[in-house]
Amino acid sequence: MKNKLCFFILALGAVIAGCYPEGVDYYEETDIALTHFQDDYDFLAKTTYAMPDRIVKITGNKIEGDDPEFVPDITATAILNMIAENMNSLGWQRVDIDDNPDLLLAPAAWETTTISWWYDYWGWWWGGYYPGWGCCWGGYYPPVHVTSYTTGTLVMTLIDPDIESTSGNPISQWTGAISGLMSGAYDADRVRRAIDQAFAQSPYLNTD
Amino acid sequence: MKKILIIIFSFSCIQALAQENFINFQYSIGFGTGDLGDFIDSPSFRGFVFDYRRKVEDNIALGVEVGWNVFYDELNFDTYTVENLSITGKQWRYNNQVPLLFAADYFLATEEKVKPFAGLGIGTMYSRRNTNMNQYTIEEEAWNFALRPEVGVIYDISYSTGVSATAKYYIGFESGDLPTQSYLSLNLGILFLLY
Repeated sequence: MKNKLCFFILALGAVIAGCYPEGVDYYEETDIALTHFQDDYDFLAKTTYAMPDRIVKITGNKIEGDDPEFVPDITATAILNMIAENMNSLGWQRVDIDDNPDLLLAPAAWETTTISWWYDYWGWWWGGYYPGWGCCWGGYYPPVHVTSYTTGTLVMTLIDPDIESTSGNPISQWTGAISGLMSGAYDADRVRRAIDQAFAQSPYLNTD
Repeated sequence: MKKILIIIFSFSCIQALAQENFINFQYSIGFGTGDLGDFIDSPSFRGFVFDYRRKVEDNIALGVEVGWNVFYDELNFDTYTVENLSITGKQWRYNNQVPLLFAADYFLATEEKVKPFAGLGIGTMYSRRNTNMNQYTIEEEAWNFALRPEVGVIYDISYSTGVSATAKYYIGFESGDLPTQSYLSLNLGILFLLY
């Protein structure tokens, strides 16, 4: 009776624990678009912006002299075109940086790989079985779980070159960030949807 | 959360071996009300209740209760704005409720096979709310002071086993990061008489 009861209890626990809702099913479900703006900045008074032809990758250590790395040109060009199309549709005119633009649009990207590992720690020093603990513990030895995922992030920053903080650093008047779990291959549709969304949720950028 | 569940079930196993009178394992369906219902309006089909009772009179039983319900919902892509910050994405919401209560039941019948009863629980309830987007989560926790009225019926299958149907209403008063958390649970259980 006691053994049956123990088995029943643990089986019930395992079933319930096993059906805990896990959430994400597909990579694109993790995509987010985040935007932030300075509410005291007059975007309507501005009409031009400049943007580089490459997207810098936030990696290495520039302070220690590492050379900057860039997103591959073919990918960067596609992304910059998406940004330019959105800015154009909001009434902005792209100019060269030497033409005294009202704002600078600085894109940057980075990848973050997170590796997690853990093991269900009961049993690590008694080898999975401790005689005094009887029916409920026998034979169980915990497995090690390892998981990793890579997140890609693109940040777009609009900076007014005439405004700086008291510390002398530029101030981002608008920041748009898109982020999502990476599946291993560049997915232009996912990136486009996220960039379009970042601008769509920023109607205050419309200069028309 | 899975580790907590395993600890609870393992502890209940040890308890079952050491005590007398009856224990009741119940599958639980939860319906959020108030703030919890506003946060997640879908019912919880993932839950359990473990009850232990010792009869101190023919029609009065005292004991403890441990339970768990997880409320879960997926929200479609939408834009959430706070002041000058907007974020668009899919959202996953979780609300875990773990009541830990002392309980008292009053039986309206004691000799019949069908035994209706009413009860009251008092204790604490651990509430944990997670709002997930992308790889990020906003986690809010509380240990609420909790009350739990209950009505139910037990049907004796044999001398040592029975089945039960109960309705419990949990009220975890405002505490920690969360306002009052409340939900109704409907439970089907199987009882074992302990020797």
